[in-house]
Amino acid sequence: MRRVPFYAAVIAISIAFLAPVISFMINAFAYRWFYPQLVPKEWSLQAWVRLKLIPRPGDRTLESFIDLWTGVPDVISALWLSLAIGTLVTGTSVIIGLPAARALGLYRFRGKKIVEFMIIAPTIVPPIAFSLGLNINFIRWDMALMNAGIPIDLAGSVFGVSLVHLVPVMPYVVLTLSGVFANYDADYEAQARSLGAPPWRIFWDVTLPAILPGLFVAALFAFLVSWSQYLLTFLIGQGRVVTLPALLFSAAGSGNNAMIAAISLVFIAPAILILLVTSRYLSGESSAAGGFGRV
Amino acid sequence: MISLKRTIQVALLSAVSAIGVHAHAESPPGYDSWDQVLEEARGQTVYWYMWGGSDAINGFVDTFYGDPLKEEYGINLERVPLAGTVDAVNQVISEKEAGADGDAGSVDMIWINGENFKTMQQAGLLYGPWAESIPNSALVDWGNPAINLDFGKPVEGMESPWSSAQFHFMYDSARLSDSELPRSYAELGDWIAANPGQFSYVAPGPGNFIGTRFVKQLMFELSGNHEQWVGPFNQELYDQWSMATWKELISWEPNLWREGNTYPESNADFKSLFANGEVEFAFTQSPAGAGPDIGAGVIAPTSRAFSFDNYMIGDFNYLAIPYNAPNKAAALVTANLVLRPDRQAAQVQPANGFCCGWAIDVSRVTDADQIAAIETAMMNLGDAAADPARLSGALVADIAGEYQNLIEEDWQKYVLRGEPLPE
Repeated sequence: MRRVPFYAAVIAISIAFLAPVISFMINAFAYRWFYPQLVPKEWSLQAWVRLKLIPRPGDRTLESFIDLWTGVPDVISALWLSLAIGTLVTGTSVIIGLPAARALGLYRFRGKKIVEFMIIAPTIVPPIAFSLGLNINFIRWDMALMNAGIPIDLAGSVFGVSLVHLVPVMPYVVLTLSGVFANYDADYEAQARSLGAPPWRIFWDVTLPAILPGLFVAALFAFLVSWSQYLLTFLIGQGRVVTLPALLFSAAGSGNNAMIAAISLVFIAPAILILLVTSRYLSGESSAAGGFGRV
Repeated sequence: MISLKRTIQVALLSAVSAIGVHAHAESPPGYDSWDQVLEEARGQTVYWYMWGGSDAINGFVDTFYGDPLKEEYGINLERVPLAGTVDAVNQVISEKEAGADGDAGSVDMIWINGENFKTMQQAGLLYGPWAESIPNSALVDWGNPAINLDFGKPVEGMESPWSSAQFHFMYDSARLSDSELPRSYAELGDWIAANPGQFSYVAPGPGNFIGTRFVKQLMFELSGNHEQWVGPFNQELYDQWSMATWKELISWEPNLWREGNTYPESNADFKSLFANGEVEFAFTQSPAGAGPDIGAGVIAPTSRAFSFDNYMIGDFNYLAIPYNAPNKAAALVTANLVLRPDRQAAQVQPANGFCCGWAIDVSRVTDADQIAAIETAMMNLGDAAADPARLSGALVADIAGEYQNLIEEDWQKYVLRGEPLPE
């Protein structure tokens, strides 16, 4: 009996989480779903046909599927681009964030509060405040690099967009990992060292297994934050880096609910998949909770 | 003093437009001949920044321009989807700020009109004048003020028309019969009083020019004469008729949808109210009327279009090339292709998914095949279109851009927020 409130909470949270997804599922396949129909009278794949993921009715042969997909529909190329940027940003942010988080989690030093504040700052400042200026600077640097004979593009490139995604991503990574290190006992490393283990072996066999669950959570945050960026991607990518959120935003003004729902499903599917795969690391027992050592 | 100032202003404006007419060169600036443009364009990629909210328009552009550009001109078309055209304008502003001049920009072409054109033109962000020196511009009626003025701003060859649109209405033939339709704002006022809660309109405001247009047309009807509104901005004229307009709109409010306490914030929201039967009318800008929206499944298949008998604003939308576009030649070729009669004939047919009407004067086409394509297109507007004769009979041009901001501000003040009208 005492567990009833617990189950009620679980159900409430599940509904809050699932309701939008279910609504997308219905809308993406509904056709002319207007008031007063409680449930759609007509079902259709027209949104998916318009997204060029499914051939037109009457032409749904294997060949036309292959034709369509070898042409790489916009949604699919946007999906790959989002995945590529997300992966790049996640990897980079963890590599940069790990040493910072270790220092913040394990040591006390002068000015630590200031460093902590600087790291959280990007979550306080809205992206529009710095991205317009950053775009202008990127364009300037591109021209300077070009004059110096280095043809690297920051503005309008996948590289530049990934770099800028690090700004909102880093606070989450450092915050999560510093919590991990706050509960981490560095003496294990000393023991391994006294037994003659080289540094890479200490990292691989002692540090990494201890922080792995927290590392997963940090990577998950990094990926999801990068995955959902629209404004930064648009401004720094100059509209040419067409990720899924970019497609979603330009479709959102159309008023075509089926289309919006279909793109939304493509957008949330990988996120849910990743969440499911990593869910066991998200349990309360993992060392991921906390932040900056105040556990 | 005021009238003297105005006279000088008018004189200056006409002088400017006279220069504009004579200033256009034989070839677009920077090129000696059209052949040189074609040659330079071969192998280029044109980055075309345009509102990307309609998959039907996106598909039309990729198919009807992307394919021939590649096959006939060796040009790659990269369509850059925007949530709003102003995003492209801001990008060019940022580039200018950073000093990315010459051909160091990123935007080759923008689908543009009105406020955004004015911003770019005033900030010196456009390449040109070129629009009257591309070969197919001979098919454009540049003498038409609806073409050579964009929201009252002289075009002066800095943008080239793509298509036309005209404001009119949609209704659902399953709910209303043709004889019940209002044919003027006066009749609409009576209809609203007789059918409480079933009418609304898009809130005029930035980005919602269609709502502003609905209000402008009422102002024309109340003033009884559209001619006086054409030409430069006239504050006295506005003051004379705006209060009557607000009074009329306020008098509707008790019988509007949600008693006029709130208004649809975008045309997409408004259309969805119409589709769900909350309001009985919606707006369209397409010569195919309700056709494109029926095709997209966003409104009932029994929806039809209709026009009032007068004061239905029509205008053109354009293509502009930023001053620092990296692939100007390819952009010029694309803008020229867009005006080719067979492409123009394709864009007016609802089956092809594009929204809007002709940019060319079809009577100027001489090629027999092209004339045949145009005639076929004229027959294929679909039965969801408004009566074309009635629509063209009601056509009036849009007016100076200054009115736009004033109407939007005053509407929000007096109608939406309900501040007392000055005596």
